[in-house]
Amino acid sequence: MAAVTQEKQYTPSLLSFFVYNPSFGPREGEEEKKILFYHPSEVEKNEKIRNVGLCEAIVQFTRTFCPTKPVKSLHTQKNRQFFFEPEDSFWIVMIVRNPMVEKPNKDGKPPTIEYQEEEVLDTVYGAVLRQCYSMYKLFNGTFGRAMEAGGVELLIPKLEKFFYRYLQTLHLQSCDLLDVFSGISFFPLDKMTYLKIQSFVNRVEENLRLVKYTAFLYNDQLIWSGLEQDDMRILYKYLTTSLFPRHSEPELAGRDCALRPEVSGNLLHYGRFLTGPANLKDPEAKFRFPRIFVHTEDGSEELHLIVYKAMSAAVCFMISASVELTRDFCERLDALVGPQLTLLASDICEQFTLNRRISGPDKEPQFKFIYFNHMNLAEKSTIHMRKTASVSLTSVHPDLMKILGDINCDFARVDEDEEVIVKAMTDYWVVGKKSDQRELYVILNQKNANLIEVNEEVKRLCATQFNNIFFLD
Amino acid sequence: MEGDVHSKGRASWDLGNLPHVEHLRIERPDSPTPDLVEGTEPGAGQQAAMFVHSRSVEDLTTEADRDAESRVEPQPVADGDPGSCETLGTSENGLQVEEKIIEVVQAPKESSWAESRTKEEDICSDGWRSHRKHVFVLSEAGKPIYSRYGTEEALSSTMGVMMALVSFVEADRNIIRSIHADGYNVVFLSKSPLVLVAVSRTCQSDKELVRELQYIYYQIVSLLTLTQLNHIFQHKQNYDLRRLLSGSEHLIDNLLRQLDRDPGLLLSAVTCLPLPSSYRDAVSASLQAAKAESLVFSILLAGERLVTLVRKKDQFLHHMDLHLVFNLVCSSSSSFREGEGWTPICLPKFNSAGFFHAHISYLEPASELCLILVSTDREDFFSLSDCKHRFLERLRKRNAYQALKEAVKTPSYSVDQVGILELRHFLYKSKSSGLFTSPELPGVYQSEEEQERLMGLYQELHSRLHHSTRPLLSIYRCGETENLMAWLTSGFELYLCLTPLVTKVQAVTAVNKLLKWIRKEEDRLFILSPLTY
Repeated sequence: MAAVTQEKQYTPSLLSFFVYNPSFGPREGEEEKKILFYHPSEVEKNEKIRNVGLCEAIVQFTRTFCPTKPVKSLHTQKNRQFFFEPEDSFWIVMIVRNPMVEKPNKDGKPPTIEYQEEEVLDTVYGAVLRQCYSMYKLFNGTFGRAMEAGGVELLIPKLEKFFYRYLQTLHLQSCDLLDVFSGISFFPLDKMTYLKIQSFVNRVEENLRLVKYTAFLYNDQLIWSGLEQDDMRILYKYLTTSLFPRHSEPELAGRDCALRPEVSGNLLHYGRFLTGPANLKDPEAKFRFPRIFVHTEDGSEELHLIVYKAMSAAVCFMISASVELTRDFCERLDALVGPQLTLLASDICEQFTLNRRISGPDKEPQFKFIYFNHMNLAEKSTIHMRKTASVSLTSVHPDLMKILGDINCDFARVDEDEEVIVKAMTDYWVVGKKSDQRELYVILNQKNANLIEVNEEVKRLCATQFNNIFFLD
Repeated sequence: MEGDVHSKGRASWDLGNLPHVEHLRIERPDSPTPDLVEGTEPGAGQQAAMFVHSRSVEDLTTEADRDAESRVEPQPVADGDPGSCETLGTSENGLQVEEKIIEVVQAPKESSWAESRTKEEDICSDGWRSHRKHVFVLSEAGKPIYSRYGTEEALSSTMGVMMALVSFVEADRNIIRSIHADGYNVVFLSKSPLVLVAVSRTCQSDKELVRELQYIYYQIVSLLTLTQLNHIFQHKQNYDLRRLLSGSEHLIDNLLRQLDRDPGLLLSAVTCLPLPSSYRDAVSASLQAAKAESLVFSILLAGERLVTLVRKKDQFLHHMDLHLVFNLVCSSSSSFREGEGWTPICLPKFNSAGFFHAHISYLEPASELCLILVSTDREDFFSLSDCKHRFLERLRKRNAYQALKEAVKTPSYSVDQVGILELRHFLYKSKSSGLFTSPELPGVYQSEEEQERLMGLYQELHSRLHHSTRPLLSIYRCGETENLMAWLTSGFELYLCLTPLVTKVQAVTAVNKLLKWIRKEEDRLFILSPLTY
């Protein structure tokens, strides 16, 4: 008897996700033609049509009040529905079920379900939806491109192929403020080493004329990129949440190791391809690389994406898709880049440990903070543990993360510098600062501190970590 | 621990006697601290609270009926017009009887509201679209009942779509709450048999907008009673409620204006006319003495501020009901100035099933002072009229009248009187008494735009403090135009607006100084000894 009285908590989850274009089935009876993709696919046809119909009605309804800015989200008791029109008349809709608590009832009555309606933040999930599209676009180009190339018959399978897999990697329960920023974590580096990397990039681009763009990462953090910011942002997201975690190297599990040259084949390096051929020596090896689409002045261009990694250093080489990549090219690249990158990686590693020793032991965990710079997309969080492919773990209570989200919403509304300090019911203090395109959020656990002490504490953080970027008192 | 004390205080207070809290009141500390027990903060009444009052906005969502059930009724307050409810809907005659009753309320308005309502608007124009806040009321059949801007006729298809959206989502055993777009929100509130919709370009949260829609809903109930409202739609789903409400739209219009401006509606509290306590007590005592058998509440208003309120023992007035009374008086002031008004009014939080009858009159035609005597008896006009005269007589005798008139004439008080240089404006609410105080708006916030902006800032702070799952204890916010501070304790709720360059040290000092000042002035700013008959 007593054992059943357990409450059950459900996290937010993906109910459905669909892409439609109302102009594809304007006549009655043709509604199904509007639907280009629908997840879960096993939903009955009429139900699909019904749900798309509601979305259309709501878009239409909001146009009564503002013809140019239609709906972004619909709140209902049970779920949240997010709308995004990335290209003319193409709508992507994501429905997220609100978190809920199931409370068992006595006497065999069905359990009571309580929906927690304020738990899902619009800004966070709106950003997740936009990211879905950006990721699609990175690998497939725009919807319009597919339509031009082969009409609906081409677009539908493309959507299915991409979203079928991508949606499985969405972990809605652990989305937070970092998804709103969708920033890039930069690797802190001294000038000397930075110049070494730059000259390495120049040398490679000089020798391999085909390489159009290069990006250099260390330890999953960006050091150098020749791509446009927005392209790099989504490519970075792909690399750090999908590609790298899939290839974490067992032999380099301890990251800060010195160079231990071993003879592998006849080359003295650790370099290997993360995309393309797994083993160059394999006579069967295929030299096919993923294609990506990046912005150009007049639209977009299609590129091969070569990701090459040696120890903790990874380099992306992007080459025009019109060129066919051969075994010869890959071998040249491997021979040129492999040894240099191995050397460079161990240089960076040494430099990094040295710097750490000088600056003393890691003091960061004392402050839990998130920093984001809108100008260069730089982001830094001491709240999040290392990102993995599945979940991003945070070291604070989810409610506090949502308070950060609330403060971020307030900041987004007004285009001026602001500072907010709040004391939550749990006696945590949360501080948000916005100054000149930069945002900083700090969580302090000092139950008995007062406003003045909290302010002093944050000032100290700004002085040590951010060279007093934030001066607003 | 803190919460514990709080809830104990609340429980006993609800019962109307407060043994242990009263004991605590003997020592009222000089400067309140966050661990004050509710009932000892500045502004807390000394005997018992005047209103059925709640901590925040949650109670607005509880059903009025339940509220009424939990209280003992002195007499049945159901409308003394037995025929009207029964015959309603069965014959057109029945409806007309009701309409006449309401006309008493409406008769005087024509002049005042006709010019103020600019209904004829092109609903496809940018002007119509760019209104800060639209409010629509419709029936569950999708029939327009009220629109703040534009005629209901022009909007009937839009309202039809609204209803369709509500029922479409309902068909999934779900409830539509709101639609969010860049720069505006649409919020829905289903209160069978009505549906209310707000389209707002303000920064208010959904919860705040729903609260405002609740006010509008109760305003309509207050004109008709819930019983009658349900009755009408049960018999004729398609009924055009505008027939019953026509002429009362200005009440809703005015309430909406107040919601944008009056912090009392935000705080669920009422503000008082500053008056030395000796004079206020004299006024209260005079009101107390002028009682009648059927009298439940006697309320004396100065404009939109409360002078005093005397109630029947064990009967509490909900702040929402009081705001509806305020709204009735303020939106039709010209009519009651002429003589004595006698009007049915339903106080929905007290009892949504029946009408009270209110005797409304100004003490002098040119005066701001308005007396409202709420009675359960429809036929009691003359005895209430007599009450008024007895009250006036006593008031004059005690020569409190002159002081009262003086107080009405002088402006409330300016923030300079507090003597804190950095302080521009504040709102302070005593939780246990349900009263708040606030200085006049300083020059910077005098314009209508700035006034609404400041209210918007307070609204944002309020909704963050009272967030349903992530409530906050305090907020400090520095901006380029002002610094704001909000603080919620078990005893009070405080909002400060400070100059933009103030430091946190100065701000903390300002709060302490302000609380001391309020404690010092509390017998002038609040009603500390409310009376009962």
